[in-house]
Amino acid sequence: MIHVPSWLQLAWERGILTTKYPFEPARPEEVSPAGVGPVPTSPLDQLTDAPARCPTGAITLDAVDQGKCVRCARCLGAGFAFTGPVESSEARRGDLVWAGGRPGAQTNDGPLADLGRSIHVYLVDVGSCMACNLEVLALSNPYYDSQRLGIFFTNSPRHADVLVVVGVPTEEMVEPVRRAYEALPAPKAVIAVGACAIGGGVFAGNPGLKGALEQVIPVDRFVPGCPPPPVAILHAILATMGRSRTPPGGR
Amino acid sequence: MMDPSVKTRIPSDGEPSRILAYWSPDDVVAVWNNLAKGGTEIERAPQSPGAAHLRAAWLGPPSAPRLRRVAPLEQVDGYGVFTFPYGPISMGVPEAGRFDVRTYGERVLDISPEVGFKARRILSSVAGLTIEDAALRIERLAGPFSAAHVSAFLAATESAAGRGISAREAWIRALAQELQRIYNHIHVVARVAEAASQNVGLAQAHALAEDVLRLMGSTFGHRWLFGAFLPGGPPTRLGPDDRVALAGTLGRLSKEFERLWSTFQTSRTFLDRIQTTCGVSREETLRWGAVGPTLRATGVAWDDRLRSPVPPYTDLFLPLATESSGDALGRVLVRVLEVRSSFLLLEQMLERWPASGSTQLPASEAIAPGRGVARVESPSGDLVYDVSVHDGRVGRVSARTASDANWPLFALGMRDAVFTDFHFAWESFGILFAETDR
Repeated sequence: MIHVPSWLQLAWERGILTTKYPFEPARPEEVSPAGVGPVPTSPLDQLTDAPARCPTGAITLDAVDQGKCVRCARCLGAGFAFTGPVESSEARRGDLVWAGGRPGAQTNDGPLADLGRSIHVYLVDVGSCMACNLEVLALSNPYYDSQRLGIFFTNSPRHADVLVVVGVPTEEMVEPVRRAYEALPAPKAVIAVGACAIGGGVFAGNPGLKGALEQVIPVDRFVPGCPPPPVAILHAILATMGRSRTPPGGR
Repeated sequence: MMDPSVKTRIPSDGEPSRILAYWSPDDVVAVWNNLAKGGTEIERAPQSPGAAHLRAAWLGPPSAPRLRRVAPLEQVDGYGVFTFPYGPISMGVPEAGRFDVRTYGERVLDISPEVGFKARRILSSVAGLTIEDAALRIERLAGPFSAAHVSAFLAATESAAGRGISAREAWIRALAQELQRIYNHIHVVARVAEAASQNVGLAQAHALAEDVLRLMGSTFGHRWLFGAFLPGGPPTRLGPDDRVALAGTLGRLSKEFERLWSTFQTSRTFLDRIQTTCGVSREETLRWGAVGPTLRATGVAWDDRLRSPVPPYTDLFLPLATESSGDALGRVLVRVLEVRSSFLLLEQMLERWPASGSTQLPASEAIAPGRGVARVESPSGDLVYDVSVHDGRVGRVSARTASDANWPLFALGMRDAVFTDFHFAWESFGILFAETDR
């Protein structure tokens, strides 16, 4: 009888867990209900109760700013539903403001399209609750396995192509994150992950906070959510590589 | 209801009441607040020698929140002795925080954590908000411990307002807390495995942690439980059929966890690397006021769920997990035992789930008009909130988190370690900068 080492047996018996995203759409179990943005179920200008319910001012009668939305779900009782796309990151901050509450055409061309198939990512926390950090790091678990797509985490900004930044920038982290940004070799990109990095989230306006990452360093991609699910972060990284429109079966 | 006898209760293991965990919650917060303001005297000094130790230990800078620092043990200097900063940006600790590490070669002579890089001024910012708006911020204070923080905050406001909650609401909070405890403990096992280069074990543990996150997402509508206890939060799925499905999934995850841990136990590489690493003694955990798995790993039997129980813990069987070694292995073993006990608690909860429209629980006693306190056993230990409420709005909020309490033990554990022990120590203590930078 062949002795199979226990680790191999364990891994073998659990089988392949890895998502088929981005070659197939994300599956429901990969994104919790609050993992996507709220969308009005009827014309936005008729949902007069919704703006007052929104604690971050994300909802007006004209538009929904997904960059401000913290997925608190209070608008669900005022004619909204969590039905937005999981691939909701944008290259321009203004594109996260959905006129009429509906998403517009998405910009997918990234600044690192010329780098080919491999990209190195460096995670920086400038004031997070740790949830965004853990969703970014989840990309390396077997369910998302970012390495199959040529996305690797690195331990130094000198070796990185992309700075993934989480949290609301505090005064104390302005200089460290600027130095980290300057340490990246060109071409480089910055992805702001989560409502805090985009505009401060629920903490916007607190003393000692810069409010938005783009006031500190240039940002190439904004990923809304509180926190965004790993699939949304994966999409954003792929978009900076110009690879978010990967054809089915393509690598 | 807060048990006023907690302050003087003698633990069953015979230890004198010397640590913060044995004090009543309002004493803990009073001591912490006074020291944070720069005071050196304890306003309402408990009859405990622990207060003197805390005074002596308070060496931090004047800005709050402050860190209790362990005084340097060795003031040696000379060729080869130097201090290097680690952080506030480093991949080893995926949070904004810094350590000043004084070394002689590989040997760590002393380590000083520095907090405040990500202070978001959360607790001061909630003054004047409604309880629900304040809770939106409190639950984002430390995402991995959100259920514990918002439960403690809400319980303190309920105590202040003299308002009870329904039995079902209390059970939902406990259910969420136990799920999040399982996630956090498995995550710690994964991070320790990563430090030990156990890559297959790391992948399997991370997969199991992801399974728990998905289960929280499908049950509470949010993977990190934000909004789960608040009116108008994400849609929950806790109907009769949902609970049957939840019990089935938990049973599967429990078996997979046992299988995973039994495999870890066959790895001498893993066990040898964490055994005797970054140990702290029972005397040290008692002296410095450690809480949670850090405390229980040195054989001290304290867990808020048993010492200051609130429903449903008053009605459930909860085996208390302790170890005696005080090292990284001991802290991991306590977490493993607590994953088991949390699965057991969840099984009991789902079997005996209260009917909708169930009884209203009595309000907790307020410690002053409009002011209440509550303590919750977070994944890393005792968490205390002190909240004042006026006209339905939040007044002043103070907290003492598990990370606050355990910083000195981390620093003590790292003394005389080698720098490659850092990650075993850091992960096994389960400290979050986010909990201190609030």
